[in-house]
Amino acid sequence: MTKGRIRNNVRKLRFLGSEMTQQELAEKIGVTRQTVIAIEQDKYSPSLEVAFRIARVFGVPLEEAFQYEAADAESGQVA
Amino acid sequence: MDVSYQEKSILGSLLAVAAVYGYYFVSVLRDLGRYEFVGGVVGRLVVAVIAIVVIEIVYHIVLALESKPEPKDERDILIECKAYRNAYFLLASGAFLVIAWVIMRDAAPARIAVTNFITVNLVLFFMVVADVMKFLTQLFYYRRGLR
Repeated sequence: MTKGRIRNNVRKLRFLGSEMTQQELAEKIGVTRQTVIAIEQDKYSPSLEVAFRIARVFGVPLEEAFQYEAADAESGQVA
Repeated sequence: MDVSYQEKSILGSLLAVAAVYGYYFVSVLRDLGRYEFVGGVVGRLVVAVIAIVVIEIVYHIVLALESKPEPKDERDILIECKAYRNAYFLLASGAFLVIAWVIMRDAAPARIAVTNFITVNLVLFFMVVADVMKFLTQLFYYRRGLR
């Protein structure tokens, strides 16, 4: 099975949401600022619970905050 | 470079372990001809353990004063789990090696000169290497990220 990729719009949502700082978001969702940085840089995919908390903070559906890009099983390319 | 509290904490522990046990194992190499693990060698090991504890306490007090301590979150715990997995693999491999060594010694005592001193220090060595592996794995995942 080829691994897909989880992308997110957290950075965009943060700026649209009254320019919330990474520290403010981190405190609201119960993680460290370093973890928010890692999520925004696509270096870490959060747990489902944290993903839901992020979506709830911005008042958007989960799919608007996070998108799953399935990889093509043949080529391994992310669709 | 933005270095988190956890990374600074791990880096400090890594340097403390490397420096203190590095010094200890260099002194062990000088005493390789010993047979039993007694006397001054035990004292040296006790001093090394106390030194690690003191250095860690002082370092973490300074670190807590200098930068705000952050509680571990899910990413820290996940990275720690991966680090323990690698450390466990190394420690288990080391344990098997030491067991094989002891069995071979008993099978052919004339050919393989493995003293109690070497055996104890070999076990200690793999424990320290496993610890170092844990710290290095953590630093690697903090820098590279978990994808």
